[in-house]
Amino acid sequence: MLKVENLQKNFGNIMAVDGISFEVRKGEVFGLLGPNGAGKSTTISVLSTLLPPSDGVVLFEGKNIFEEPKAIQSKLGVVPQDIALYPTLSGYENLSFWGNLYGLTGRELKKRIEEVCEIIGLSERIKDRVDKYSGGMKRRLNIGAALLHMPELLIMDEPTVGIDPQSRNHILDTVLELNRQGMTIIYTSHYMEEVEYLCSRICIMDQGKIIAAGSKDELVEMISGKTEIALLLESMDQEIVKTVGSIKGIDSMVHQENQILIRCENADMILADIIASITASGNHLRSVDVKKPNLEAVFLHLTGKALRD
Amino acid sequence: MLSIIKLRVLRLREDYWIYLIMMIMAFGLTVIFGVSFDDYKPTVLIVDENKSSYSKNLTSELGRNEAFEFVESSWEDAVEQVREGKVLAAVLIEEGFETSVKAGDSVPLGMMRLKEDTLLLTLKQLLTTSASKMTGGVRIAEITADYIVANHPTADRDTVRDTAYHSVIEGWEYKNPISVASAIINTNAGSDYDSLKHSMIGFSLFFSMYTMVFGIGTILYDKQYRTWQRMMITPVSKASILGGSMIVTYFAGALQLGILVLAGKYLLDIDWGSSMAGILLVVAAFIFSTTAMGLLLSGLVKTQAQLSSITPVLLTSTSMLGGCMWPLDIVNNKILLFLAQLTPQKWAMQGMENIASKGMGFEAAVIPTLVLVAMGLIFSVAGVKLVKQV
Ligand SMILES: Nc1ncnc2c1ncn2[C@@H]1O[C@H](COP(=O)(O)OP(=O)(O)OP(=O)(O)O)[C@@H](O)[C@H]1O
Ligand SMILES: [Mg+2]
Repeated sequence: MLKVENLQKNFGNIMAVDGISFEVRKGEVFGLLGPNGAGKSTTISVLSTLLPPSDGVVLFEGKNIFEEPKAIQSKLGVVPQDIALYPTLSGYENLSFWGNLYGLTGRELKKRIEEVCEIIGLSERIKDRVDKYSGGMKRRLNIGAALLHMPELLIMDEPTVGIDPQSRNHILDTVLELNRQGMTIIYTSHYMEEVEYLCSRICIMDQGKIIAAGSKDELVEMISGKTEIALLLESMDQEIVKTVGSIKGIDSMVHQENQILIRCENADMILADIIASITASGNHLRSVDVKKPNLEAVFLHLTGKALRD
Repeated sequence: MLSIIKLRVLRLREDYWIYLIMMIMAFGLTVIFGVSFDDYKPTVLIVDENKSSYSKNLTSELGRNEAFEFVESSWEDAVEQVREGKVLAAVLIEEGFETSVKAGDSVPLGMMRLKEDTLLLTLKQLLTTSASKMTGGVRIAEITADYIVANHPTADRDTVRDTAYHSVIEGWEYKNPISVASAIINTNAGSDYDSLKHSMIGFSLFFSMYTMVFGIGTILYDKQYRTWQRMMITPVSKASILGGSMIVTYFAGALQLGILVLAGKYLLDIDWGSSMAGILLVVAAFIFSTTAMGLLLSGLVKTQAQLSSITPVLLTSTSMLGGCMWPLDIVNNKILLFLAQLTPQKWAMQGMENIASKGMGFEAAVIPTLVLVAMGLIFSVAGVKLVKQV
């Protein structure tokens, strides 16, 4: 559906997007994950024809969007990272305006506004002025404004920033529901849990470059797919190394000073055994740390830094 | 485009009070300046040191004028009153007045005043016209008397001369084309300057410009609230978004100026002259050029705050230059007059005043309208270029 080839965008000396390529397939939720300043929003601005690229090609259904911007504009919905609404107008007036811009009028517009209100759960407060809304309600209306014209491709730029968990879950479920109805979605975030939860395929961006891409499993596979258990003991002796090493299900084990590092397929199964054998030997356990392989770990592995500071 | 128009109209309900305030300002200041200025007749003292029939003639000639209250006074009183600021000025008819008039020399007239004032320019002009009218009359009367006495030695030369003089002055009264024109348009000072109309036009233009510039400046509000960027990625083009915004600003400005013109007509009894169509045409072109100027300004600055800080400076200075505050007739600095040509205000003032105050017809509207439309087009093209996507 959308094909990005060697896209570059610089602001003066800053290379915000540095030659990225990826493809979004029809019907999927595609994740764009990266820390602050990775270039996610800049990429989206270019994809949505707001900014011209410095170099590269973007094809939407085979058409170059910079040569034929109209080809993508009417089929694209964008939820911008910053809330883009008229605070002094009511929710209804806002939706009505954005619907108008996509050519919706009259009864059709009214019907779509009602449907969108259902989706974003704002039916009751829709006649109120937007500046009277809570942060989460504004976020939801910000999403609603991109849905009126039933876009084929929906791009969401960190739609859950700064809101309470309840609104956040509502939004995540909305995304899945929209996707289930057939909408292709590009979801941008720096929360890896969200991307893990929603996306079938993921691109990880850092400093304008794509550092890894693939399905969640493929990405996790990149760091060998094993869970790591770190045990910190009161004291260390050969006895304990032997006892723990004999527990079934452990793939590999290393020890160093008072620490033992274990790699295994499934930590839940063997953790109880490990703790029991250590206690039985009379040793004391100071801490246990289980590191499940996740995108955070992938990111750490690839860049040597955490996704969020 | 229709959607943009709807949006802008919706959002006008937040700003209607600015329109109201600006209209009240324009109207209120017109009443204060225009009317009081009109009723107020500054006193000018005349010190007659010559006391001849000639000086009396000049005094009575000046007395005809309605813009100033002329009062005879002694030298000492005059000095004191001028110093105390009780009178605008004192005119001194020096002793050699009669001799100079007879000899056809330049006439010695003195003027005492404390400060410079635009009124003094009018007074000086009046003195010069009256004096030259009088000396001219005297010369004609003397020559006529000489001629008649030469042919009719029995005639009394003084009587002949006085009769001739009065005929000449009366002749001025009824045949002077300038006086006739001023009778029709009912102005004072024998000039075609009408302070009430000038204030009405000047203040209306000046204050309405604010609402127009801020009206189109709403696109900076859009940028601040990111709705601009959101609009830019819809299938609607930037040109039609700007076009729709300009249309609403245009009509809001037209409504505002229309109300002011009508308020002037019915509340202040202003006679807009023989060609209302001409007035409206100039106004229409002026609104276009100002809206376009607002668009250009919105393209030059980044935020509404910046627009709010440069607009008053720009509008006040160009309005001064363009003659909204005082008539350009009293300006004689070439550079200022040249700069005035570059302001839309100058052309709008010129077109409207020519029709309303100087009794001209529709034709007086043509050139100003063309200039204003040309300015508007240049501003629009530059504005559309400068207002960026993001
Ligand atoms: N208009 C601009 N002018 C100059 N530099 C910019 C501009 N927009 C973005 N940048 C720079 O480009 C880089 C990428 O920014 P971008 O907003 O795309 O990051 P992001 O991945 O969306 O980050 P975040 O998670 O914080 O939203 C940053 O270094 C930023 O400073
Ligand atoms: Mg961003």
